[in-house]
Amino acid sequence: MLEDAPLTWEEVARAYGRKIYNFAYRLTGNADHAADLTQEVLLRVKKGLAGYRPGSFEGWLWRITRNAFLDDTRRRKRRPTAPLPEEIDRVASYSSPAPDQVLAAVRLGDDIQAALLELPYDFREAVVLCDIVGLSYEEISAAIAAPIGTVRSRIHRGRKMLKERLQ
Amino acid sequence: MTHPSEPLSALLDGELTEPDRTRVVDHLSTCHACRDELNELHSARASVRSLPLLDLPSGLSPVEKGVAEVLSLRRRPPAWVAAAAAAILALFIGVATILAPPTSLEVRLDQLSDQYGARTSLEPAITPRTPLQVIDRVAGPIE
Ligand SMILES: [Zn+2]
Repeated sequence: MLEDAPLTWEEVARAYGRKIYNFAYRLTGNADHAADLTQEVLLRVKKGLAGYRPGSFEGWLWRITRNAFLDDTRRRKRRPTAPLPEEIDRVASYSSPAPDQVLAAVRLGDDIQAALLELPYDFREAVVLCDIVGLSYEEISAAIAAPIGTVRSRIHRGRKMLKERLQ
Repeated sequence: MTHPSEPLSALLDGELTEPDRTRVVDHLSTCHACRDELNELHSARASVRSLPLLDLPSGLSPVEKGVAEVLSLRRRPPAWVAAAAAAILALFIGVATILAPPTSLEVRLDQLSDQYGARTSLEPAITPRTPLQVIDRVAGPIE
């Protein structure tokens, strides 16, 4: 179990880089933003890993990820010249070996991604952590520093809002 | 029992503990409205889980060196979670089959057991590609 295993930064990067990228992409719909964020999180993990004490590794990692995401979002708001997030097409120019495939895959989930982006942040975050990242309620609770009851309610309401938008 | 709403999402996620779980499952066996709601929640949940897993952009795909190591780190839900889920759903579907025509219950055992696989669904698609460029890039100063 991860709880017991001392991880090197490289192991964290390999095991979680892609998850972090997908977390950020699904929250923003923006490939550039997601790539920047992934770098920033890995950097913070690198700095913080020495201070990590055995406990909920997932909670620790995703708390870092979430804080980096919120900082990044605030920074972008202060720079109004930065491009807006909802440019799904940009993923095509960013991903290398088979852009067509990536684009097709992204298009396939277009309506779902759009519906997700319409959810208020708290609900979108809870749904993404649960259904994209695959965290347990307890891990989400640690990651967002909120009680489990709040997590449960946000996931549930988030799904209900999604259902309405996808009908 | 009043109609449980929030607990239905928690049930789908395997996050209900006893005795709540039994209460909710019993209620579902007699309440059509709640079964409909469960199906709707299941479908919203499945939609999000169906989103394709995107590859890291090339400049960032570091990280994928040593796929064997990644796989050895892969998180698995404890075996009892899957076993408990299978048992409950078998019960649930068994009850539902008695009380309703089989087509009325769209949530099926095979789909629902997928959800426990979905906890680890981000990993299997990881494939070896570009080696470690990113470690240097990430380790360097941010521009
Ligand atoms: Zn009911």
